[in-house]
Amino acid sequence: MDSALRERVGQVLLPGDEFCCDTDGVISLSDTVRPEKVLCGPGLRRSGDRLLVCKSGVLRHKEPNVFWIDSQQWRYVPVKGETVIGVVAAKSGDVFKVDFGGSEQASLTYLSFEGATKRNRPNVQVGDLVFAQFIVANKDMEPELTCMDSSGRANGMGVFGGGGLLFRVSLGLVRRLLSPGSELRSDLEKLLPCELVVGMNGRVWTRAADVQKTLVLANLLQSCDTMSCSQRRQLFSRVRQGAL
Amino acid sequence: MKETPLSNCERDFLLKAIEEKKRLDGRQTYDYRKIKIKFGTDYGCCFVDLGLTRVMAQVSGELVAPKESRPNEGIMFFNIELSPMAAPTFEQGRQSELSVKLNRQLERCLRNSKCIDTESLCVVSGEKVWQIRVDVHMLNHDGNLMDAASIAAITALCHFRRPDVSIQGDEVTVYSPEERDPIPLSIYHMPISVSFSFFQQGTYLLVDPCEREERVMDGLLMIAMNKHREICSIQSSGGIMLLKEQVMRCSKIASVKVSEITELVVKALENDKKARKAGEKCGFAESLPQERITALKVGKTPVEVMDVTEQANDIVQKAESCSLTVHTRVPSPLVPVPGVGQVGQGQQTTWGLEEEEEEEEEEEEVDEEEESDNSSEQDKKVTKMEEEDSRGDVVEISDSEEEEVVILHPETADKALKNTGSSFHQKGAAPSKQKRKK
Amino acid sequence: MAGLELLSDQGYRLDGRKATELRKVQARMGVFAQADGSAYLEQGNTKALAVVYGPHEMRGSRSRTLHDRAVINCQYSMATFSTAERKRRPHGDRKSTEMSLHLKQTFEAAVMTQLYPRSQIDIYVKILQSDGGNYSVCVNAATLAVIDAGIPMRDYVCACTVGFVDETPLADLCYAEESGGVSSLALALLPRGGQIALLQMDARLHQDHLETLIEAAMTACKGVSKVLDQVVRQHLEEVSMLTGE
Repeated sequence: MDSALRERVGQVLLPGDEFCCDTDGVISLSDTVRPEKVLCGPGLRRSGDRLLVCKSGVLRHKEPNVFWIDSQQWRYVPVKGETVIGVVAAKSGDVFKVDFGGSEQASLTYLSFEGATKRNRPNVQVGDLVFAQFIVANKDMEPELTCMDSSGRANGMGVFGGGGLLFRVSLGLVRRLLSPGSELRSDLEKLLPCELVVGMNGRVWTRAADVQKTLVLANLLQSCDTMSCSQRRQLFSRVRQGAL
Repeated sequence: MKETPLSNCERDFLLKAIEEKKRLDGRQTYDYRKIKIKFGTDYGCCFVDLGLTRVMAQVSGELVAPKESRPNEGIMFFNIELSPMAAPTFEQGRQSELSVKLNRQLERCLRNSKCIDTESLCVVSGEKVWQIRVDVHMLNHDGNLMDAASIAAITALCHFRRPDVSIQGDEVTVYSPEERDPIPLSIYHMPISVSFSFFQQGTYLLVDPCEREERVMDGLLMIAMNKHREICSIQSSGGIMLLKEQVMRCSKIASVKVSEITELVVKALENDKKARKAGEKCGFAESLPQERITALKVGKTPVEVMDVTEQANDIVQKAESCSLTVHTRVPSPLVPVPGVGQVGQGQQTTWGLEEEEEEEEEEEEVDEEEESDNSSEQDKKVTKMEEEDSRGDVVEISDSEEEEVVILHPETADKALKNTGSSFHQKGAAPSKQKRKK
Repeated sequence: MAGLELLSDQGYRLDGRKATELRKVQARMGVFAQADGSAYLEQGNTKALAVVYGPHEMRGSRSRTLHDRAVINCQYSMATFSTAERKRRPHGDRKSTEMSLHLKQTFEAAVMTQLYPRSQIDIYVKILQSDGGNYSVCVNAATLAVIDAGIPMRDYVCACTVGFVDETPLADLCYAEESGGVSSLALALLPRGGQIALLQMDARLHQDHLETLIEAAMTACKGVSKVLDQVVRQHLEEVSMLTGE
């Protein structure tokens, strides 16, 4: 199966495509039999001894044995450990209800901020933006967020966002922005100095030196969604020359 | 579905941008978005695109008995459907406030202004008249549904052809389109509505608000006019207080806009007429191969980029020239946990004790003063997202007990990345206030 | 209805008024004991009753509570006997819902809702006899009721319907004039600052006439505000006499 998967890396797969364990029928006793282990990422599902594709996208591979489907999506499903940008929707007692664009609102207790104690409450208002990560995110329970890591430090998380602009992009673009060695990010760096907060739920916050540049940046990122690499380079070079 | 709440940051940014006369998509304050009008195969069906707002109107007619109070006149019926397709907050079937408001506005705009000669719809006085029904469906909501609906409704009415009838004594014969050509409705004038949104208690005014602007606006003024500069309807909504001068100014702007839009509608109708005469296939299904409707096609946004890059180049040059100093100034990134990168200390907490904050601020000022000797002021605002692999020295603080996070990325990972275990979870929060580590 | 002269050569209207004359306004405040505020207003033959409850706890959907303001809830209904033909649906149809929305909008602009967060103010208006200018009479009656309830407002809200016939604006239309196909403009004004809380117009009017029409409406509203002011002062005198101070 490993070889079958490797063959199709980089191809477009559709839901319903499957990979079977190829059983030769002849098991050689002389060669050492190494059990094949295949790690399935998002988009692949195991059913019996077959591997089924359940999302449409491109098959990707990472050494030594990890495979997943790279698909495009706009709606975010919470996953434990991912950092997202949320909007505080309500304050009820000790808990903030945060909307992150999923099927329900996540809860964020006021104690999960760095340095927060029962007496020292964080200054969070309804309508503020928070950058937080999921500690509980599964299909059976209400998602929970936290603004500090396990050692109690903020790590860049918390309330933010004075003066910038929040906008939505697809999840694929977010992953491209956050991947290491991202060309998109390096091109963007050379173009405009800016602050960028990227949430895995497709929300991006940006702030540049003034309103005009912030708007330019937001529009550029939103249009990068549907552009190929060369088109994007062209666009950036045109922006650099100051004409659009 | 509940509406996603609007964050304070978005609201503040939008209002600030409006004060500087800048809109999200680069339009001017009095500009409309791009209007596209397409017709379906049947007479009386038309699609209108106002930017991303998409609306469909369909006109149909049937013979019914007239109202007792008006035996000589036909009946006009208008209906706007806010289908959940347009926005997740619209609910099917429930008559929300917005739907009542839009319906009544469209009725008043088209019916009370008597744009259609209802007496010509009479077939047999007192017994049979035509009932013309206009159904408008909202397909995508990106702001300003009222204008799109009014354009769609009047265009569809102009496009519609009703079957021909003839009366012989007591008998009424309705001819099908094959037997006799259907005849158009007699339309006196074309009322088109223009919406103005007010911000900051009426200080700022925008024409054709998009959805985000609608959420921050104080109120809306709708003026429906025709190209003869006759006002057909005015309606103010939202809790704003207007002054007479504002209303007069809006009506002047509206007359200009209405004449432009009427030209567009007339041209679209003519093109369609020519196409049908020439026997070309027309209709919604035909728009697909010609790529007139594709979701992935995004129009060009004319955002002004004029002096942006000059400044950007300056900054980049200055940054490069003192790159050495920049390097030493910016602390190397920390990796507290595999899969997490951090530069600087993160956001200043706003709720510490006030005295401490003042001290911190003083310290920072000292820092920044030192820095400004070497690099330009703008460098302080230059907070690029650092990439750990390119800088080299990465401080790893991994005393966490969290399990190893596996990050998926397609290319074969470099060794540097493996060491730092970066970056699918790399934080993008590069803070503005950075406390320098000494 | 066609053929009736809405404005004769001597300048008299159907009911004998001059072009800028308002109908006779008679009003009474505090007509109900149960409600927090109530008022009854007659403008010519149009009679309206307004009742205000609040500010009180949010009822119904808790989710509509606003954390920084009070919610104003209006309901407009017409009595079944108010029109010439018996009205089959007194409320719930589109016109009444639209009217309720307009009333809500008008009062949201005038009432100082920031003083009562997370609460609700109810305004119920009923038309007992309809002879034109329904919206204006409702607004005037509701203003008196809100003042009677003691809810702080920025200013009086006065409304008037004006029409345009033969190049002349007619103030305060009656039913015959309204249904005669005259372009009518309904305006709700806060008289002291000259701010327009609601502007609504139907039927065709050339753009050049708009200014004169709005001016006429504003003058008429200011006239109405004088009358309302008098009514309020009289009521206060009576009340203070009763309490003996």
